[in-house]
Amino acid sequence: MTISTTDIREKEQLISGSEAIAIACAMADVDVITAYPIRPYDTVMQFVSKLIADGTLSCEYIIAESEHSQFEIVKHASAVGARVFTGSSGVGWFYAFEALAVTCGLRLPMVAMVGNRALDDPGAFGTEHNDALAVRDLGWMLRWVDTAEEAMDAAFMAWRVAEDPRIYLPCAISTDGAFLTHSQQIVQMPSQEQVDEFLPPYDRGDFVLHPDNPITIAPQVNEDWLIEIRRQTDAAMRRARDVIIEAQDDMNRIFNREEEDPFIEEYMTEDADVVLVGMGTLSLPLKVTVRRLREQGKKVGFVRVKWFRPFPAPELQVALSKFKAIGIIDRDYSLGAPQNGGVLYTEIRSALYDVTPRPPMIGFICGLGGREVTVDSSTEMFDKTFEVAETGHAEEPLLWIGVRS
Amino acid sequence: MAVTAVEVVYRGIFQRLLSRAICRTIVLAARKEGKIGTAFGRYSDSPERNGIPAKYFAVVADDPLELQETLAQYEPKAVDVSIVVDDSLCKGVESWAWYGLQPINELTKEGGTVLVTSIQESADLLEDMHVKDTPYNLAIVKGPKSFSGLWVYKDDHTDVRILGALAKVCPQLVGIDAYKETIREQWDELKETSANRAYDRVQSTPVEPGQGNPEEPFSFDMPGWETMEEALVVRPVSVGGGFRGGEGGFQPERNEVFKKWSTRTMRPVINFETCTKCTLCWLQCPDTCFDVTPEGLYDSDMESCCGCGVCEDVCPVPECITMVHESNFNDNSSQHDHWKRDRDGYMAWLEEMRAASTTEKADVGRTHGFYEVGQYEKEFEQTGVAGDD
Amino acid sequence: MTTTNTLPLIRGVQNSPLEEYYTSGHRTCQGCESALTMKLMVKAAGPRSIVLGSTGCMYVANTTYYSTPWVVPWMHTQLGSSGSAATGTAAGLKALMTKKKIKDEPINVVSFCGDGGGMDMGLSAISASLTHPEYNHLVLCYDNESYANTDIQASGATPWGANTSFTPPGKLHRIMQKRWKKNMAAMMAVGHPGVRYVATGCASYAVDLMNKIRKALTLGGPTFIHTYDPCPKGWDFDPMYSHELGMLGVETGIWVQYEVEDGVISLNGPSRMIARGRRKRKPVYDFLKRQGRFAHFTDEDVDYYQAKIDEMWEKWWLPGIIPINPEEGLQPPPG
Repeated sequence: MTISTTDIREKEQLISGSEAIAIACAMADVDVITAYPIRPYDTVMQFVSKLIADGTLSCEYIIAESEHSQFEIVKHASAVGARVFTGSSGVGWFYAFEALAVTCGLRLPMVAMVGNRALDDPGAFGTEHNDALAVRDLGWMLRWVDTAEEAMDAAFMAWRVAEDPRIYLPCAISTDGAFLTHSQQIVQMPSQEQVDEFLPPYDRGDFVLHPDNPITIAPQVNEDWLIEIRRQTDAAMRRARDVIIEAQDDMNRIFNREEEDPFIEEYMTEDADVVLVGMGTLSLPLKVTVRRLREQGKKVGFVRVKWFRPFPAPELQVALSKFKAIGIIDRDYSLGAPQNGGVLYTEIRSALYDVTPRPPMIGFICGLGGREVTVDSSTEMFDKTFEVAETGHAEEPLLWIGVRS
Repeated sequence: MAVTAVEVVYRGIFQRLLSRAICRTIVLAARKEGKIGTAFGRYSDSPERNGIPAKYFAVVADDPLELQETLAQYEPKAVDVSIVVDDSLCKGVESWAWYGLQPINELTKEGGTVLVTSIQESADLLEDMHVKDTPYNLAIVKGPKSFSGLWVYKDDHTDVRILGALAKVCPQLVGIDAYKETIREQWDELKETSANRAYDRVQSTPVEPGQGNPEEPFSFDMPGWETMEEALVVRPVSVGGGFRGGEGGFQPERNEVFKKWSTRTMRPVINFETCTKCTLCWLQCPDTCFDVTPEGLYDSDMESCCGCGVCEDVCPVPECITMVHESNFNDNSSQHDHWKRDRDGYMAWLEEMRAASTTEKADVGRTHGFYEVGQYEKEFEQTGVAGDD
Repeated sequence: MTTTNTLPLIRGVQNSPLEEYYTSGHRTCQGCESALTMKLMVKAAGPRSIVLGSTGCMYVANTTYYSTPWVVPWMHTQLGSSGSAATGTAAGLKALMTKKKIKDEPINVVSFCGDGGGMDMGLSAISASLTHPEYNHLVLCYDNESYANTDIQASGATPWGANTSFTPPGKLHRIMQKRWKKNMAAMMAVGHPGVRYVATGCASYAVDLMNKIRKALTLGGPTFIHTYDPCPKGWDFDPMYSHELGMLGVETGIWVQYEVEDGVISLNGPSRMIARGRRKRKPVYDFLKRQGRFAHFTDEDVDYYQAKIDEMWEKWWLPGIIPINPEEGLQPPPG
């Protein structure tokens, strides 16, 4: 398809999540973008390159020779004060891992899109969240989105929060491979004026690398310094919560969006007995299943986690403690973890440890490699969670759903 | 509890193999007495650099539980013996990894010993060693410093002579018989003899509180996480300007935090009267240590000189630059200032320094590292065991 | 393309700039030739420069926390990232200048790497950086012939036979290092036709090196310089002789000094004299015997080493540069 300058000014667009983020790059006036091919994230770069070719987006656009270089190049561009964007998927994200790690300590507000993809071997294109989750301990802010419109908003949020001088941390937007990267939805576009009002220019202040500010950045340290530096990064991540809340309020006001809570989305939870919790696009079958089960009189709901880092522990503690049982759906795995649970399961289990009453909990692993999460399998997960609500505990704490035996 | 700890303070790379040989042999000899121990280097010194001070440790206990109690993985908080294998380290230690000058005797326990290999007398060494408020002993193993490099070990018996002396000054660690047996197994009977001779000859003198160099050592207060700059940023050194703040010449600004006072074993002494202003010492100095005077002379700054000697080697004028052992200096003042102030006095002092250098070369050689294949063997043939008279 | 600084050539040592942009505070070895390379590089480049340093001695020993020696802006980059750091910094500056977000002015971007970072891990990123004609930057590979920071392990630049902590001579195998060094600068010149300047250099020839830095930065686009840095720690010699060892490397013909400017190659200094037959190469033993890393060599090893250097000068199309020969009828270029 062809994109031209006039397209992005349309109030309503039929675009994929990748295209939405590419357009966000143009509206945010990103300065440096690096690309390297890997399915499915690279759709965003195909749109970026076309926007550049058509003159809609003006930036330095570099086709790197590897993901490692892709992320290193934008890292250094960010250090001289340029707004940057890049991205990857699956093992490509892992190839860049060194660059991903160092960006946090350097406190550079890199914004990246992860088109979630299963890790090799065997090669597989479909979605799995293990790629993005691998950086969860390092200081990356991690966002999972559900729709193309949310992907666009999340991109503006990412630059705004990452580039906030109180934060200066990188931020990755996770978009489920195929469901967001390759399928198109109707998006209500903000105007350029609204974007400009929401997103101030990136100002690196006196951390900018320039002959007029001849600082030394990231000299070698030893045990006399490193723990202090980690503590600083930790403090920045802790500050991110308030900055996100502030930014979401502004976005709701300026873009006329109605996001009630910046961190989690609750669907029909008010009077629910049991809920399932998950991230990303599996909310589609889950929401349908909630409605069908409610037609049968079953009080069920769904909670979608939007920010994984900073982890919305306070929100989830309030939201989840009132249910008779909760089921956590992971589109990822953490082999050998407690209860053999997935990553989200383990995190939520930890977040609820101090909560009274603490709801009984069960974990599910499903949809790996992009396998469809069906209404049937969603119903099965609700049924299992009801069983837990009845007995008060999970006989088997973790189930793999939709696996041929 | 019978736990004994020793440190070997050494010159990075030059004495890396030596310090390891000493500490390993201590622990292996302790086994002969039924004790147990561990030998380890300070990890933050481990990307060692030529000449930059570093430390290796041996900790020995009667049984494994006692050894555990010492937490012997980190630098011990106190040691029974501080072994110093290059006497210019008596001026203090600025390690590769940290900031500030650690007095050489800082870790030495009350009643413990600083054991130095040196051709100097104890009174000379005490001029350099910082005062301590507890008494200790200063023992000397007579001999020059033993420097080699990473690959070719200079087997001049310095290792076993130190062990023999150690048996005398700290018999509770390991006795001479266990050392002798271990040395015989590891090396040969000749080295066993050297150890025994050092045991017999080592001289130890008591040092009273307050005796020594009264200077306050250079120190640095480390900021905490709330006051450190974020984003791994360090503010730069500014460029500098004219010589001594004046119009002509050039004097670089120098880093305030890390000085090279303790990195060098010798320093250049310059004859400003024969200098032809060829620029080579200044241009070829890896440490940017030369200030350029308005008249185009080069004054080496002792905060940044690490004593490599490249300037002497590149200088085309005979004896215009002479590297002189650190023991001949008690301060870091400017030679150019001295020369400007008092030319005759300076030239007389210069002659003294040159003579000291010539004597040192004749007595013990001056190389600090490998010069050519066969050199160490030749030296050993000519001079025999280091310091053996 | 943003403009470059026009840096005039230095005519003789007496005309070297007085200002130093690399001062004290570093913790490199006594006699560190790579520290000298850094000093000369930034002395030549001047204050309107940004320096990027990939992991290695010139990061770890050179720039420790709170005690930076850099007067100009400096930033660490990862071991294999010198090419990416150069591209990213130059691209960031260009974007901001083009969009008038910062003042449009020439800024030198120099990104350095050691032989391990440059010739092994970072090779693909350097190669990629040399394919972007719109960015002005210099990648400087300081080659001390091992992973010198981590304890002297063999790299793709370590010469045949050298003792390193990964290739120690032993009872069964006297020679563990059986590889020869890569021709890095030649590879960069031959493989990247758009690049306007590639050179080799050595801090023992300080003015020559500074002028090569200046030419690279003035000509602009992506450029590459490979320096030969005797390492007292890893090569095992008395630090006083770093300068001499650099000269010996050139005079024995082991290291070849040359530059490729807009596709024209010329040998410099002693290498040029040797190539033109005006100077005889010194025997390689003069060089080998001065270093502990070759102390285990037998006479046969020395002869073999000499034969390989002879072959390089006598059989290669371009000595030290192109190890292939033309078909009969094709003549090597004059030089």
